Amino acid sequence: MPPRLVVENLRSYFFTRSGLVKAVDDVSFTINSGETLALVGESGCGKSMTALSLLRLLPEPGRVVGGEIRLDDRDLLHLPDLEMRRIRGNQISMIFQEPMTSLNPVLQIGEQIAEVLRLHKGSTSPQALEQAADLLTQVGISDPGRRLRDYPHQLSGGQRQRVMIAIALACDPKLLIADEPTTALDVTIQAQIMDLLQKLKEERQMTTLLITHDLGVVASNADRLAVMYAGQIVETGSVVQLFENPLHPYTQGLLNCIPRPGHKGLLPTIPGQLPSLREHHDGCLFIDRCDAPSPPCGHEQMQLKEHKPGHWVRCWRY
Amino acid sequence: MPLLQIENLRKSFRTSSTLGGSGARLVAVNDVSFTLEQGETLGLVGESGCGKSTTGKLIMQLQKADQGRVLFNDTDLTTLSARQMRPFRRQIQMIFQDPFSSLNPRMTVSSILSEPLIIHKLVPARQIRDRVIELLEKVGLTAEHEQRYSHEFSGGQRQRIGIARALAVEPQLIIADEPVSALDLSVQAQILNLLQELQQQHNLSYLFIAHDLAVIEHVSDRIAVMYLGNIVELTDAETLYKNPRHPYTEALLNAVPVADPDHPRPAPLSGEIPSPVNPPSGCYFHPRCPYADQLCREHSPPLTDSGDKHLVACHHSEQVGQYLIRRR
Repeated sequence: MPPRLVVENLRSYFFTRSGLVKAVDDVSFTINSGETLALVGESGCGKSMTALSLLRLLPEPGRVVGGEIRLDDRDLLHLPDLEMRRIRGNQISMIFQEPMTSLNPVLQIGEQIAEVLRLHKGSTSPQALEQAADLLTQVGISDPGRRLRDYPHQLSGGQRQRVMIAIALACDPKLLIADEPTTALDVTIQAQIMDLLQKLKEERQMTTLLITHDLGVVASNADRLAVMYAGQIVETGSVVQLFENPLHPYTQGLLNCIPRPGHKGLLPTIPGQLPSLREHHDGCLFIDRCDAPSPPCGHEQMQLKEHKPGHWVRCWRY
Repeated sequence: MPLLQIENLRKSFRTSSTLGGSGARLVAVNDVSFTLEQGETLGLVGESGCGKSTTGKLIMQLQKADQGRVLFNDTDLTTLSARQMRPFRRQIQMIFQDPFSSLNPRMTVSSILSEPLIIHKLVPARQIRDRVIELLEKVGLTAEHEQRYSHEFSGGQRQRIGIARALAVEPQLIIADEPVSALDLSVQAQILNLLQELQQQHNLSYLFIAHDLAVIEHVSDRIAVMYLGNIVELTDAETLYKNPRHPYTEALLNAVPVADPDHPRPAPLSGEIPSPVNPPSGCYFHPRCPYADQLCREHSPPLTDSGDKHLVACHHSEQVGQYLIRRR
């Protein structure tokens, strides 16, 4: 079966007054139906901008300048705007880190879920409210009939994220993008929400792009992951491949600097800082922080190369 | 004699009510006691609203406790006037979560760091600049950063400036309130290392407040777990991880996602954190607790020593541990 989502050589640049910023620079990945791919990296690595590029919702002055995005073989980058609007919230939906700012504070939550169903599925108002109550039950909100009339401020952070998930799932999307869905939540609530997403994934064969900086969340929830650094994917493979045998020095560094119980003393660190994306770099973007750079690293960009079946890395060592 | 001794600290707030009524009473810190030795790190861990940050503010006297004592080198800080408190503000410093909002955007790094030196008259005027540069170097920055403004720095560098500011007055105790939770993983490791190095150089004591158990375990000698305004368990870091005796600690440990794909996923804790305005009867944790029975619904368990200075507030502490997922 062909992959549900194919992203090829995606480039999203920001044309700022102080120069060109290559936020997403030649990013390629695929997600199979029913699979969860985690996009991992630190602030500013381009993971959220990759997601917004998929929806064609890049903020100004950003633009997708090249590449291809195909959802079930439909080319999303060249669809007319009206067609694209039918895809957003319907075939691709997204949940965000902070549910309070993505819900409308002056609308009852039932109305916010029903709106999606009326718009994309042509449900009548009473039908839509009935389906909304059903969705609330599926995301684990008790007493849904009464909750439909609640406003977002009456809910806890975890319940708001459940409502966001209900809205995202209302149209049974082909692809769910979850951008740091549990980062703002407490750890016991985070566990509940990740458990819910896992359950829904199994029930609905959901295809998910999970964006996160938390490698713990990745290990327990994703099938494959792609590690991003400075706008590029530096390593990708199955969760087991990357956690057990990380190849890229950045992936190795990230895994090493997680505090682990029983290990006291100083943590291994990745020296230095992210390179400026405004400047032009000839060689590897990680070179200043790498523990063993070799001569070609300074002047040639390495492409992603398949090291073992399914395990790709962008590094001259392999 | 411990450097810091907290006894039966309590703080409640009146919540504002939307229609101008009197509002409800919210008990943020119910009854908190602990000690902290010179050179020691005590971790205070818990979820939103558990009272951990309020406890930090009560120690700093940024908020006045309703009752209880804060003994610092045997002086009860709660009885001091603002003027009497001043010398103690030098000895107790705070580092905050968000270095973006805790540094004045209109001040250069040099003025941020020299201000406390001038206020507390710590060095003669002509030596201030040398001291500022010394502080910058101590936290891994250089003299060339001196004339810059905070917006010119990354999050990690700003946290370094916050740490340098706290160190400027040569404190004995630093209260670090979520000092790394806004930082990326690789930067977090750098800041945690810096804090540990500074502790060794200056024999500092830390009260380390955080919600991240992995971070807390890494830095702390002892850990206090808070839930809804109470300490529910307090013991040394290793024992807490290997042998938790409170069901909430056990659930927190299980809920932390582990960066290991073979680690089993435990069933999550059910229910949400109750509102501190209207806490449950008996043990505050009983509605979410897998061990709870009638006793727990009716009687609140006191924090007692279950042996080896392992303090636990649970009627069934001897049963706890059966759901704990151990790491490889």
